Amino acid sequence: MTAVLRAEKLSKWYGNILGISDINLEIGSGITGLLGPNGAGKSTFLKIAAGQLKPKLGALTVFGEAVYGNPRLFRRIGFCPEHDSAYAEMSGRGFILLLARLHGFAGAAAAAKAEKALATVGLLDSQERAIKGYSFGMRQRLRLASSILHEPELLMLDEPLRGVDPVWRIRIMQLIKDYGKLGRTVIVSSHILPEIEAMTNEIVLIHQGKIFAKGDIHRIRGLIDSHPHQVSIRTAQPRQLAARLIGSEFISGIEFAADNRGLTVHTNQRDPFFTALMGLLAESGMEADEITSPDDNLQAVFDYLIGK
Amino acid sequence: MTMKDNHPIRILFGSFFSSGLRAKRTRVFMLLAMVPVLLMLAARVMQGVGTVSAGDVAGFFSHFMLSLYFQLLIPVLALFFGSSIVNDELDNKTLVYLTTVPVRRRSVLLGKYLAALLLAALLIIAGFLLCFLAASLTRLGDAAVWEELGLFLGTSLLALSCYSALFTALGAFMKKSILSGLFFVFGWESVVQYFPGVTQKFTIVHWVKSLLPIPPGQNSFLSFQLQPSPALESVLVLLAASLLFLYLAIFIFERKEYILSDNA
Repeated sequence: MTAVLRAEKLSKWYGNILGISDINLEIGSGITGLLGPNGAGKSTFLKIAAGQLKPKLGALTVFGEAVYGNPRLFRRIGFCPEHDSAYAEMSGRGFILLLARLHGFAGAAAAAKAEKALATVGLLDSQERAIKGYSFGMRQRLRLASSILHEPELLMLDEPLRGVDPVWRIRIMQLIKDYGKLGRTVIVSSHILPEIEAMTNEIVLIHQGKIFAKGDIHRIRGLIDSHPHQVSIRTAQPRQLAARLIGSEFISGIEFAADNRGLTVHTNQRDPFFTALMGLLAESGMEADEITSPDDNLQAVFDYLIGK
Repeated sequence: MTMKDNHPIRILFGSFFSSGLRAKRTRVFMLLAMVPVLLMLAARVMQGVGTVSAGDVAGFFSHFMLSLYFQLLIPVLALFFGSSIVNDELDNKTLVYLTTVPVRRRSVLLGKYLAALLLAALLIIAGFLLCFLAASLTRLGDAAVWEELGLFLGTSLLALSCYSALFTALGAFMKKSILSGLFFVFGWESVVQYFPGVTQKFTIVHWVKSLLPIPPGQNSFLSFQLQPSPALESVLVLLAASLLFLYLAIFIFERKEYILSDNA
């Protein structure tokens, strides 16, 4: 693999607060998912890679060059920031056109680039409106347009699906996949595993500022799936349901809710358990008001994986 | 040699000037810049009904209006426009867009500085022109009046560029620079200009006032403890200070790491 981005012993902290610590990482072409819970260090890593922050220790290079203070490199890099920021008084078109011109496109070429980027994210119809009138999802799509308008070789997207409606969520995921298929490098961060799973098999797990695992998502999925899960089921018939479940090979324990309106099931095989549960509910006619998995979030999985 | 159409400074200047024209801040300051015009018109009306004499109106302009412009409006407008050049980008977290394009940070700063300077200048000049015309309505045929107007406008531009450059540097250095700027304008500048010796030369207002005619009268707002500095020296000092502050602003902006929130 030819590394497009290379981090060596990269560390960054803000006063006493650790951002990332001693990260060694190489990322080549294709899509790489940067997965970690909130506060894990994903944004810090991407901001260093996008030249927004200086490394405190170590080095990060993109295309073999240091990024911080190297504006030339931004002809080849696109960065979509996480935070909701915009020039409220500008129109969507004015904003994208400004960036196109700053990327070195002049006149009709700049207008064509801006139009193409706005069309890609579905904002052509509202391009003349001031950004302050855009919804959160529209502003998120505008940020995406700002990062792809110059068709960079390295595209870095920090939580690009946050606040986007379901239709555009699917379209943006497809857009990212198509971009990766062109042989370019895409790094996309998220704290939601299924989002990353839908876009790529290549994944970097980051937690508490450190790279925790890197590689194929199926291997990491295996680790996650062997994590003991709890599933809470709210039902009017908790004891009847427990009686039907107790013989299942996927269950390691059952607890009843204090209000006798539900139960919590412990399982080491989450997916087979869910399949069995759905079949049982359909077959028995019992009703479940709510099924939730309290620890089905990345933080719990990471805590389990690091042995907390 | 002219700057090319696609030069980043020109692009940024054009874009931020036009969005600045639509900004709420500009509308607020436009109203503020019109206050002296209303005061001047009121003075004229009072002269018209015979409440005050023509001499009183002329005195009102030279004593009160000049002080209002050069000691309040110009520094305050420069403070708000200058400090916003970097501070707005930090507050709105938009700096990321200007620092992930293949443009040097100095071009970003200069483009935005020129846009802010022109916006502030238009507000000041429009108000000042109306005030001046209202004050000099009966003397418009006198060439000296137009010379005086040129002097006032030139001094206004010099003062604006110097204060704006200073507050641009302050805004690049610290996130909440308005308070420090207000302390400079209403603390340091207001007090030190009346100190004896050469201390008052460490203010911008000293050099600005040195270019203005000293009005007659004991209690003038523009009275000096020392003789004003020579005009040429004052112009050169203001130009040099503008360039120095601008260089300082660029120096800070190019080297400082701006940490927007949500670092995770």
